[in-house]
Amino acid sequence: MRPRACILALAIASSPAAAGECYVVGAAGGNVSFEVQQAGAPFRGAFRRFGGEVCLAQDRVARIDAWIDPASVDTGLPELDAALKEREFFETGRYPRIKFTAKSAEARGERQFARGTLEIKGRRRDMEVAFSLRRDGGRPVVSGSLTLNRLDYAIGTGEWSDTRWLGAEVKVVFSAKLTAVTIPATPADRGASSPVLPK
Amino acid sequence: MEQYQNSGKSYGIIAQAFHWLVAALVLVQLGLGVYAASLPVGLARLQWLSRHKSLGLAILAVVLLRIAWRATNRPPPLPDLIPGWQRAAAVATHWLLYLLLVLAPLAGWLYASAAGLSVNWFGLIQVPDLITKDPDLAEVFKQLHRVLVALLALLIVGHVGAALRHAFWLRDGVAHRMLPWKPRKTK
Repeated sequence: MRPRACILALAIASSPAAAGECYVVGAAGGNVSFEVQQAGAPFRGAFRRFGGEVCLAQDRVARIDAWIDPASVDTGLPELDAALKEREFFETGRYPRIKFTAKSAEARGERQFARGTLEIKGRRRDMEVAFSLRRDGGRPVVSGSLTLNRLDYAIGTGEWSDTRWLGAEVKVVFSAKLTAVTIPATPADRGASSPVLPK
Repeated sequence: MEQYQNSGKSYGIIAQAFHWLVAALVLVQLGLGVYAASLPVGLARLQWLSRHKSLGLAILAVVLLRIAWRATNRPPPLPDLIPGWQRAAAVATHWLLYLLLVLAPLAGWLYASAAGLSVNWFGLIQVPDLITKDPDLAEVFKQLHRVLVALLALLIVGHVGAALRHAFWLRDGVAHRMLPWKPRKTK
């Protein structure tokens, strides 16, 4: 086991791609949508602004830092969008970012599973996100889904915690095109010049 | 002894049951709709609008059955003394009422579909959407639903007014064709 690990480490160190084949996640050409049960019927919406950074090593995810702007929620119903930004739901004034961070992913067949931390409204939970990676004209496209319990993140408090009328389970589906960025290999340089992540 | 089918003098039990059931449901439905629409975005609005949508679909189903029954059962003719223009008005009003009782719930269903707020009928049956989600169309169907309901309400006022006139002023037995009891005195 030990010698193999050493060889692997050497291989990673000597390969420029493995050192940090990183990409920015752009909202253009992608989507983040969600589905929840309202009065027993499915209801769908989307977030229009999202982004982040994904690093790959041999087509395996080495790092994910993704964010969604909850104020960009779009259900097609302006009154509802306004309500979703309020305290009972996303409280966007106080919590302007939904974040997901993961440090690695496990491949099972075609799919990869990133174990990381999902933070919404200041609440952090461990979350496994299933996704797949494909190439679209050379550019990687990441798409996947996750299911969460909105009550874990205090989305829909007070009267809205009645799950008969607003389901607890929220299914999120996403896809995004990745754009390659050159990131200096040494961590010090990266910290100084990375233009990628709005914090 | 009342008959199930319409007779030459009176509506039968089935036609009367349809009439009064639809009348009661529509009155409740108007109240529900106006009340729900007056509520701010919140759980109560979701609850009352859901009930309104479920009841609307129930009314649509009952009205379609009623129209089928009406198609196979000629209504009792109006008395010969009724002037021609009143006959024409009565026929037009009744067909417009049937038409609006179908179109108003249909427009509501289209509105709910276009708004992405699909209906689960009283929490029992998932109802299919008529069209895919489209916020612009939702606004169109919302206005259409309101206009059709306003027209329906106006026609109901006219219909009830005419029925009361026949029952209490003319006393010609016309209104009593739709009642299970007969007038004590006719002119």
